[in-house]
Parts: sequence; C-alpha cells; structure tokens
Amino acid sequence: MPDASWSSSTPAGASTSSDSSPASSIERLNGLLHRVAQKDRKAFALLYEATSAKLYGTVLRILPNKGLADDVVQEAFVNIWQKASQFDAGRASPITWMVTIARHRAIDEVRRQPTKRMESEDALDHTPSTEPTALDRLHHEQQSRRLDQCLEELEKDRQDMVRLAYLDGWSRSELAAHFDEPLGTVKSWLHRALKQLKGCLAS
Amino acid sequence: MTDRDDLDMLAAEFVLGTLEADERAWVARRRDHEPELDALILDWEARLAPLGDEVRPVTPDPWLLGSIERRIEALEAPGERPESEATNAQVALLHKRLRIWQWSTGLASAAALALAILLLTPVGQSPQEPPFVAVFQQNDQQPAFMLSVDLNRRQLNVLPVSAEPLPDRSYQLWIKEDSLGPDPRSVGVLNADLTLDAAALRDYDPDLLRQATFGISIEPLGGSPTGQPTSPAIHGFLYPTGQQVPQQRL
Repeated sequence: MPDASWSSSTPAGASTSSDSSPASSIERLNGLLHRVAQKDRKAFALLYEATSAKLYGTVLRILPNKGLADDVVQEAFVNIWQKASQFDAGRASPITWMVTIARHRAIDEVRRQPTKRMESEDALDHTPSTEPTALDRLHHEQQSRRLDQCLEELEKDRQDMVRLAYLDGWSRSELAAHFDEPLGTVKSWLHRALKQLKGCLAS
Repeated sequence: MTDRDDLDMLAAEFVLGTLEADERAWVARRRDHEPELDALILDWEARLAPLGDEVRPVTPDPWLLGSIERRIEALEAPGERPESEATNAQVALLHKRLRIWQWSTGLASAAALALAILLLTPVGQSPQEPPFVAVFQQNDQQPAFMLSVDLNRRQLNVLPVSAEPLPDRSYQLWIKEDSLGPDPRSVGVLNADLTLDAAALRDYDPDLLRQATFGISIEPLGGSPTGQPTSPAIHGFLYPTGQQVPQQRL
C-alpha cells in the first residue's frame, strides 16, 4: 500500500515539548523543517501536527469554504514538503514562513474566484480573539505587543482595513466598496497606514 | 516619493494581500530576480506576522494528513511501485488537482475532458538523462497525448496517441507554475497535425519546468480568444522517466 511507509499515528517522540516557550517552539519547528528538507516523513507528520490548525485557521478565514480551504491547505503542505530545503532560519521564523505559503495560496484562490469571498459579510465580527493560544506564542510576545500598540495608533478605519486585508484577504477594490471610498483613496490610506506602522515599529 | 518607497509599498501591499490577481502575479515573478524586492517582502512578512495571532486555529479533518501524505508519496516515488497502483494514485491526485485548478466556469463536459496522467513507465532510452514526461489521457481511458520534455535543451515533443484533429477546434497546451502567477500561461496552440513547435518552452528555466504543471484544453480554432483556457484542462507535473526524483525548487 502507498501508505505503508508513512506512520500516520503519532510517532514516538511527538511530545518532546514540555517547554512551550516561544524560543523552544521556534527551535523545534526549525529542527523539524530541517529534517523535512532531508525527506524525513516522520518529521513531516510532527510538523503537520504542530502547525496544521494554525494554517487551516488562517486559510479558512480568508476562504470560508471548507472544500476550497481543504484543497489549499493540502497544496500548502505539499509545497512545504517540496520547499523545506529553501527555508532559511536566518531570514524568517518557521511558522511565519509556513503561514505565508498557505496565506498566499488562499489569497490567490480568492482573487481567482472573488464571488467566494463575499460569503463572509461579517468578517470583522469574528476578528480579534485577543487571547493567543499556546501555539500563537510562536511569535515573540514582545513583537506582538509592539504591533498591537502600533496598530492602536492608527485611526479605527485604517486598523480595520489592515485587519480585513491581512486576516480576511480583502483586495483594494473590496475595501473600497466596503468603506464606500474611491479606489485611489483606499490605496493612499493603505500606504499611509503601512508607512505609519513601519515607522512606529522601527522607533 | 522615491522609487525605493514605491517598491517598499508594493512589497507591503503584496504581503498585506490587497493587490489584484495580475499585480500579485507580477510581484511574484519580479521577486525571483529582484533581491531587493524579495528582501522588502520578507521584512513586511516579519512585521505583519504577529497579526496572525488573531486567527483562531481550526483543526482540519483527520483525513487531510493522509491525503497530503499520499500526494507526497506520489510525488516522491514515481515508478517505484507497481504501475497500476501508482497510476490509480496519480489519477486520484490529478482529479483532486483538477478541482483545485478550476479552469472552467461551467463548460465541463466529459467529452471535452483531457486528463493528464503522469507516465510511470520509462519510454526514454537514454540512461544518463531520463526525459521528463506527462501523459494526457482522455476520459480516463486511453492516452490522448504524451508530452516529453528535454529539460536541458528545453525542447518539447507532443505526441498524439489517441487524440485526433477536431473540426473547427484547436488543442492548446498550457503551463502553470507559482512564479508565473495564479493563471495558466499558453505554451502554444497545436498545429492541425497536432504537433507543436519544439522550442516553445525555450524561455522557461529548467527548474521552473520541473515544477510546472501542464494542461491541454480544447479551444476554438486558432486558440483561446481570452488568453485563458475556456474549456476544462487537466494537468500533471512532469516526471523523470527514470528513478531520479525531480529536484524540488520553486
């Protein structure tokens, strides 16, 4: 059987992370990705176990259609398997790298079929679950707090725009329709908001 | 505003996700050969990544891992398993991928469907350089076309197997790869005798070709009027016909 060489059941050593600090989580994911790059399938199963809920949640939020989300997440993990050797721990955190692959695929899918997007009218209603779960702490907390603070400094509309775009995958034109503003205005708002964020994060 | 600012905003909006499909594809292509843009994109990914903490994790269905593992299995071990079993896995994989790609918006008909399956048995004789091959199969029955590609020379050869010229219709070959953007790109319209210019892939990097998927669709005479496939097309990765596993680079 094709499956024989896979051990889908939890392989030994799956729960080595009694220490769940962000640094050790990042280190563990780095190690798993390194092994995946060597085509280690057990490491792949562990990596999936550690990150699939995060990636699936990310994709489902952008693409609120289970069938499409299933497909995108599968594509993303196949892609992660293929590209693991290109992951550079010096340039990105492992979870950011993985989420980015899934996010971009989801956004590409939504841009291709914009009608699917409009199904989630109340996007912001289910926005901030401000209490991050253990896995969410993969980002250094200090960094998260800093971004929160910097977002708070933006006008409310701009904050919403950034969240609707990043978390829900809205395009400029969708934002323009929602905020009832011309496309050019939305573009310059976005640029101002992004520059302000960048400046605040750098200060 | 300086050029550098413009580039930075392009990177920022690419990461934020607000660009339209064509702009996204354009940026994705550019970053491959513009290290400055690539670095700006990575900076923005890092800046905005903590926003992802606001996403509620959702556990996927339990079958998803097995499905991913089977796809990886199929990717990694072409030719290493009994052919029928491997073929079934490939066909299932491609059916799945077809749904994902969704080229068509309702024109699907079984008769128009050309299914590409991956050829699992070696057809090339050269022991050093196994050719890369994909098979396009009609209605899951008989192969319609076979596509072989010599990656080093970037030469392709389309061989009609059971496919026949259609009156008032043309076959069109498409390529799709992440760095080319989300939409398929035309490789060329097959001639009346179902051949195609052997050099049609000359502008593509061998690494890209190794990663690309190909599809054949049935179009109005002379090719798709829209620049995109107008009938469903099925696609497959190129596979080496030998034991060599394709290098995975995107």
